[in-house]
Amino acid sequence: MLKTRTWILLFAAAALALGLLSWRLLGTPVEGTVVEVVQDGVVLREIDLSAVREAYSFVVTWPDGGSNTVLVEPGRICVAEADCPDGLCVRQGWLSDRGAPLVCLPHRLVIRLKGEGALDGVSR
Amino acid sequence: MYKRLAALALGLALLCGCGAAAQPQKETETVQAAQEMRSTEFFAMDTVMSVRACGADEALLAQAEALVLSLEEELSTTREGSAVYTLDHEGHAELSERAAYLLGRALALCAETDGALDVSVYPVVRAWGFTTADGSYRVPDAAELDALLQNVDYTRVLLDGTEASVPEGMEIDLGAVTKGYTGDLLTALLRESGVESALLDLGGNVQTVGCKPDGSNWRVGVKDPAGEGLLGALAVADKAVVTSGGYERYFTDDAGTLYWHIMDPRSGCPARNGLISVTVVGDEGLYCDALSTALFVMGTEDAIAFWRAHRDFDMVLVTEDGRLLLTPALAERFTPADALRYETAVIADA
Repeated sequence: MLKTRTWILLFAAAALALGLLSWRLLGTPVEGTVVEVVQDGVVLREIDLSAVREAYSFVVTWPDGGSNTVLVEPGRICVAEADCPDGLCVRQGWLSDRGAPLVCLPHRLVIRLKGEGALDGVSR
Repeated sequence: MYKRLAALALGLALLCGCGAAAQPQKETETVQAAQEMRSTEFFAMDTVMSVRACGADEALLAQAEALVLSLEEELSTTREGSAVYTLDHEGHAELSERAAYLLGRALALCAETDGALDVSVYPVVRAWGFTTADGSYRVPDAAELDALLQNVDYTRVLLDGTEASVPEGMEIDLGAVTKGYTGDLLTALLRESGVESALLDLGGNVQTVGCKPDGSNWRVGVKDPAGEGLLGALAVADKAVVTSGGYERYFTDDAGTLYWHIMDPRSGCPARNGLISVTVVGDEGLYCDALSTALFVMGTEDAIAFWRAHRDFDMVLVTEDGRLLLTPALAERFTPADALRYETAVIADA
């Protein structure tokens, strides 16, 4: 009887210690600054926005025709130009650090934060 | 000794499971995942979808994608040869068991919501230009809308077993329930294959299977309808979280009036009844998907009355006048974003 009780106490103490430790270690989420440029599921580029010193742009072409021009500036990224029919990717503006990823459906292009911060998903 | 402790910690984590739900702010991540998280991402149903599942292999993920694509082939309104396309163009169609089930449930929800959801509003949505991706939006005149509304009436959709028919001039679209139902079928597939922890993101419809591999709740952000950021995050397990908002597809006319894609089946015009975003949290994706649209159409007062009468789901409402309203059960699961501009309140029980 005593043995069981001792074990329970030990277990509880160990679990508490483990919990407190991981809470301290993992409690503060870090804002992500690395973005991924993905086309049809393939990561084309990874860009650390905090390391960008000068603005530049690059063109992502879609094999079935069409392209998107991606503009990268210190700390931010957007689709500056696109020849898709709806132009939604351009209208989305700069990628927000907490909102939805930039998406061009016709050209299957997604620009998103790597790891999406501390969230597992976003309902929208 | 270490093995024993590890086994114990694992046991405790399983026991606590999503019990950590009661105190989301104290979520503790205990043991590392015993199984690897695998994910796949693909384009389907005009959106980006991702499936992340703990312990799934490549074959299962491929099966999940194939399931979504087969549903799309069957339920698409625009794909020639799909069951829904045939029904809309020929007036009748023989449906598969699952398509018939979905249509039956959708019709029942149209009735349950007193027509706030109406699967036959599709021709109206098309008249406004919201069904194509080419941005050819327009404001139909009253005469045109009146004519179209003659054929908007879900009670005239007939379903007998797996045989469906619609009257001349009527067209249906199951878009308001398809993604939710797809999430339910994916969840069933993963569960049958032994997956106990997974997160599905079907173009913004988030559905969670179990809790996270470490036993804590999933943290699902909810988009702020008025900006690029978030309203906050919900701590959930085994729940679907589906949001409908006026920000998804919209246009403004020359006078600056904003028109969005969620139609009020009674007026044939965009639903403007006080809400700019509705998030529904519940056990079933299909139900949450249908309700997110229906409650948006109902407006603030009726949505709250509907919740009080049913109580089998939870919701986050954002009103046009800047309020964020939560059902009581979500109050402790919701962490608002920093510097949230909305006045937050919990909906009274009665």
